[in-house]
Amino acid sequence: MLTEGYLTQPMFMAHAGWRSLHGVLTLNFEGLTQSRGELSTGAYGEGYVDRRHPHAYVHELLAGVEDSIRGTHLSLYAGRGFAPFGSDDPMVRPFEKYPVNHHLAQILERVLVVSAARIGPVIGEFGVFNGDEPLSPGSPPKYSRFGDSWSSRLTVLPARYVELSASVARVKSPELPDGHGLDQNKSDVYARYDHRTNDSRVYGLAEWAHTNEHASGVSTSLGSFLGEAAVCKRDVMAGARIEGADRPEEERLDDPFRTPRPASDLSNLGVSRWTTLTLALSAPRFLAKSFSARPFVEVARIHAGPGDPPGLFDAELRYGTSWMWMYSVGVRLKVGMIHDRMGRYGAAVVPEPGTRAHPNESHNMPGMASMPGMSMPNHSTNAACTL
Amino acid sequence: MDRRLSVRVAALAVGLCGCGSDKLVIVSPTDTTNLTNEPLTSPACPAVNFGKRPAALSLTASTPPALQVLGMGSETGRYTAEVAARATTAYTTTWGTRSAVGNKIDIWDVSGSTPTLVDSVIVANATTLGDVAVSDDGKLLVVATERSGGSIVVFDLTDPRHPRQLSRFTNQDTDPGVHTAEIGRVNGRLYAFLAIDPLGSIHAKLVIVDLGDPANPQQVYSKAAGNPFVHDTFLRDGLLFVALWDDGIEIWDVGGCGSGASPSAPRVLGNLHTVGGQAHNIWWYHDASGGKRFAFVGQESPGVIGSSSAGDIHVVDISDPTAPQEVAFYHVDGAGTHNFSVDEANGVLYAAYYNGGVRAIDVRGDLKTCLPSQKNFTSTGNITRCDFRLMGREIGVGLVELNRGVYVWGVQYLAGTIYASDMVNGIWKLKAVK
Repeated sequence: MLTEGYLTQPMFMAHAGWRSLHGVLTLNFEGLTQSRGELSTGAYGEGYVDRRHPHAYVHELLAGVEDSIRGTHLSLYAGRGFAPFGSDDPMVRPFEKYPVNHHLAQILERVLVVSAARIGPVIGEFGVFNGDEPLSPGSPPKYSRFGDSWSSRLTVLPARYVELSASVARVKSPELPDGHGLDQNKSDVYARYDHRTNDSRVYGLAEWAHTNEHASGVSTSLGSFLGEAAVCKRDVMAGARIEGADRPEEERLDDPFRTPRPASDLSNLGVSRWTTLTLALSAPRFLAKSFSARPFVEVARIHAGPGDPPGLFDAELRYGTSWMWMYSVGVRLKVGMIHDRMGRYGAAVVPEPGTRAHPNESHNMPGMASMPGMSMPNHSTNAACTL
Repeated sequence: MDRRLSVRVAALAVGLCGCGSDKLVIVSPTDTTNLTNEPLTSPACPAVNFGKRPAALSLTASTPPALQVLGMGSETGRYTAEVAARATTAYTTTWGTRSAVGNKIDIWDVSGSTPTLVDSVIVANATTLGDVAVSDDGKLLVVATERSGGSIVVFDLTDPRHPRQLSRFTNQDTDPGVHTAEIGRVNGRLYAFLAIDPLGSIHAKLVIVDLGDPANPQQVYSKAAGNPFVHDTFLRDGLLFVALWDDGIEIWDVGGCGSGASPSAPRVLGNLHTVGGQAHNIWWYHDASGGKRFAFVGQESPGVIGSSSAGDIHVVDISDPTAPQEVAFYHVDGAGTHNFSVDEANGVLYAAYYNGGVRAIDVRGDLKTCLPSQKNFTSTGNITRCDFRLMGREIGVGLVELNRGVYVWGVQYLAGTIYASDMVNGIWKLKAVK
């Protein structure tokens, strides 16, 4: 058994807006507080395995313009951030632990240009970016590779609180910064429900994501399904998540939680299949002006089994068992407002039910439950049932 | 020779084979290019004689027989990597992490049919020992280490069954790992040629180490190489063949051409982007008649270790080392090649084929000459090449008939025997084809 403590997900978030111009900033300091990664059985990516990797210091830094023409809300953002693909960054979802499918369902920390258009209940996005993942929290992107990858997402808002989305992406050589690595064809479909009131929240997400890693006509198929839900009443939040996700196995270093970056060739050691059931419970927050502290506990039951193909993966050999427990206890600390959702910009920001999409609205004044009409869809306030 | 006539002659040869005569029939070339049969030198490398062009062969394509398995030495605690054998002793290295980490050299008595483990050596500060080689005089064993700061470890083989460590060479250029370490002599002096893994944004490298004093190795050269990897090299007659992945192969003069180049000051003679890239390993073939015109290049496409693999053998005409040309290939459905060993006296290439076991390929004769029906156009490289399978050059398949999973990393031919290192099972001893 391993037990560790650390400050995880320390972030600074900011928005700025002036007329049609907007800026988004998220700084992430995990590189300073958890450079060894966060214990998370089944997690993988960016040279970490069974630990979630620290994110880039510059998680988001974008500037954009938004306007509305004949009822169509248009935006164009550029900078470093999320490609229009998949679901929200897990940091702004009701669970502290990331799902295994993080690298199947999000494309983040790329230098990108992303355009979006919203017509009524339909949002379309298209972005081009550099395929290479960050090598470390402080490593710069490979600017010369800007434009070698793209993604597109279509979102439909068929009813209040409901969001349906499908996205595709073509990512060149994410794991080899100089290129010539495996390319990825990615797809993602999700349905999201989020109903908030001043003192309650009902949230649900069902997601299917798939990545095909390929080169020279040889491919590895990595799939995942995820269902998560949370309910909050009187500021007590309970959630559950079930997930099945494929993980490509890689050679490990002396440190069994690390893999070579880059690997020494294009092969993998097989595919493992991770099935995880997580239960989460958060107590009411302690509030002091703009500061809040919300205690939480999460318990996960994890099964690791062979994927397709299994290659050399053997859970019994690796872990001594194929069934594992993971416990997380902590306090979510917050000062001010956080981004309510991460991964959408400008016209792609889904308006909160009850508000209407207007030009420049998405980054107006923060939504305050006690201030009707001043809602800000992309920000979480200190109202009850916020994170 | 008229092309139609040559086709008719070849067809006749096939008919003769069907009547029970020797399967090999020598016929006239069907390709009218480069018909000179004189010994060949290149102005760029006058000291190397690439030999006469061999005669064309016509073989009967048939289902290749299984190579006879003599025995197996089991290693199940670790994944087995490369093999090197000399006389009655074989050495296998280990890779990655199984129930134990890949830091062990297994030493096998291979005098009998079944390899018997007689000793082992643990190499500290290593997670993988991906390569092993014995010097041509049998005095030294050199092992490459990866992923703890790479190195090469040099052992004294005065007692071949119990190697004694002489030295370990490591520096910032060998970090993070030495993927392979080929050893060979240039003008009588022993060198090691190290293929270094990339690290982060740091490029892969080729490092050359002087082993003239094996107790005190000295680096003499280092260069960023490979796109994105450099996995292997092959040294012979003062020419170094470097596999540069998607940059194909390069031929370096390191002292063989008489031009003043040396291991500390190599000179690039030529390069070739092999079809599909992913150039992994090379063997410069010297045939029994003295011909040195062809090299074999292994392509390592993505695979799933233990389950699947991909990648062809590419045959390159290097008779003009400044302008190598790909002329033929060998493909196995559902499997890809890794390392080679060639029985040059009999003209048989043995190739490790991971999940495809061991393949024996007839490489006698002119490898660039084949019938039109044996040619294959590849749009990727926009070239037409001879297909070894259609030419009937596949003459043996080993280990796949055992009905147990194998994943063969390396092979070595030695005196009528093939030693095959199998990541999953250990070391196999097979009988070579006649």
